Amino acid sequence: MQLILDPDMIGCVTGEPTLTELDDIEALDRIYRSRLLRFVAYATGDQDLAETIVQDCLLKAYNGRASFRGDCSVYTWLAHIATNLVRDYQRSRKFQFWRRVHKTAPDLNELSASLPGRGSSPESQMLAREKAQQVTAALETLSVNQRTIFLMRFIEEMDLQEICQATGMRMSTVKTHLHRAVKAVRLKIGGAV
Amino acid sequence: MESHLDSQQIHLSDEQFTELLLGTKAPAVRAHLDVCPQCSQEAERVSAAIGSFQQQSSLWAEHRAATAQPLHAGDSRRAFSWVHRPLAWSAAALVIALTAGVGIARHANHPQPNQQPVAQAQPMVVVTPGTLQSDNQLLSAIDGELRADDSTTNGMYGLNVTSHEAPTKSVRRLTN
Repeated sequence: MQLILDPDMIGCVTGEPTLTELDDIEALDRIYRSRLLRFVAYATGDQDLAETIVQDCLLKAYNGRASFRGDCSVYTWLAHIATNLVRDYQRSRKFQFWRRVHKTAPDLNELSASLPGRGSSPESQMLAREKAQQVTAALETLSVNQRTIFLMRFIEEMDLQEICQATGMRMSTVKTHLHRAVKAVRLKIGGAV
Repeated sequence: MESHLDSQQIHLSDEQFTELLLGTKAPAVRAHLDVCPQCSQEAERVSAAIGSFQQQSSLWAEHRAATAQPLHAGDSRRAFSWVHRPLAWSAAALVIALTAGVGIARHANHPQPNQQPVAQAQPMVVVTPGTLQSDNQLLSAIDGELRADDSTTNGMYGLNVTSHEAPTKSVRRLTN
C-alpha cells in the first residue's frame, strides 16, 4: 500500500532529497520528538493529545518521506505536518468533546520542581519557574494562530520565512499574529509602560 | 488621554517592542533603550521570561519524550491510525450488514419445508340423538340417587330439609 500525503501538507517540496534522518524512523523519533512535543503541547494546551499528534506526525513524515525534497529544514516540514494535525484535531468534534472532558495541560511548575536543576540555585530555579508560568498564562490568552506563531518564533526559534512555510500563511499574516501575541505577552509580563 | 498619548510617544511602541524581541535593533530603538531604563528593564523582563519558559518547557518535553515509547520501523503501519479507525469500523459494519442481508435474502427465497404440526388435532366427537338420550338417562339416574342419599344424611343429623320436594319413604320413616 502506498501512502500519499495531502498536498496541502507539503509546503516545501522542491529540490533533491538529501537528508537521511527521514529514512530512519528511530532517528527521526530521537531527534525531533521532544521538540515537536514541546511545540504541540503548548499549541494545544493538552499534553496527552500532544503525544498522540506527535506520534502521528512522525509516522506521517516517515511514510511520506519520499515527498520531502529538502527545500526547507526537516523540522520546518515536521512543524508543518504537526500544525495541520493540530488544526484537524481542533476541528473535529471528537477533540472538542474530549477537550472538555479530559484536558491535561502541561504543568511546568509541578514537573520542573521534581527535575534536577541545571547548575542554578533553588531560588533562581523558583524565579525561573515563576517567569515561565507567567508566559504560560499569557499564552492561554492568545488565539490558536497567535500562540502557534509565538511558539514557533520565540520557543522553536524558527525565522519568519520558516514560519510562513510551516503554517502556510503569508508573511504579513504571520507578522500580524506575532505582533498581537507579543503585545499580549508584554501586557501580561512586562506591565506595559 | 493626553498622558496616554504622551507615554506611547516617550516609550517603545508595540511594533518597536516586537522588533526588539525579534532581534532587530533599529538605531532609534537602541538610542531609546540607552536613555530609558523603564523600557530596557521591561525588555529584559519579557526576554528573561521567554527564556525561562523556553528552558522549562524543554526540560518538560525532554522528560516526556524520554518516558514515551519510542517508534520503531514496524510502527510505520500505524500511521494515520486515528484517521483509519472510522474506516475500519465502517468496513466491519458493512461486512456484518452484508452477511445479515444475504442470510435474510436466502431465507426469504428458499421454499419453506413441510413443518410438522406442533400438536395433533383431536378427532371430532359425533353426537347422535341416541347417545344424547342415553346420556341424559344416566345423568337423571345419578341425580336421583344423590338426592336420596343427601336427604338421608340431613335427617340423621337433624338438619332442616329446605327442599320443596317431598321426603322419600326412608326419610319419613326415620323422622317418625
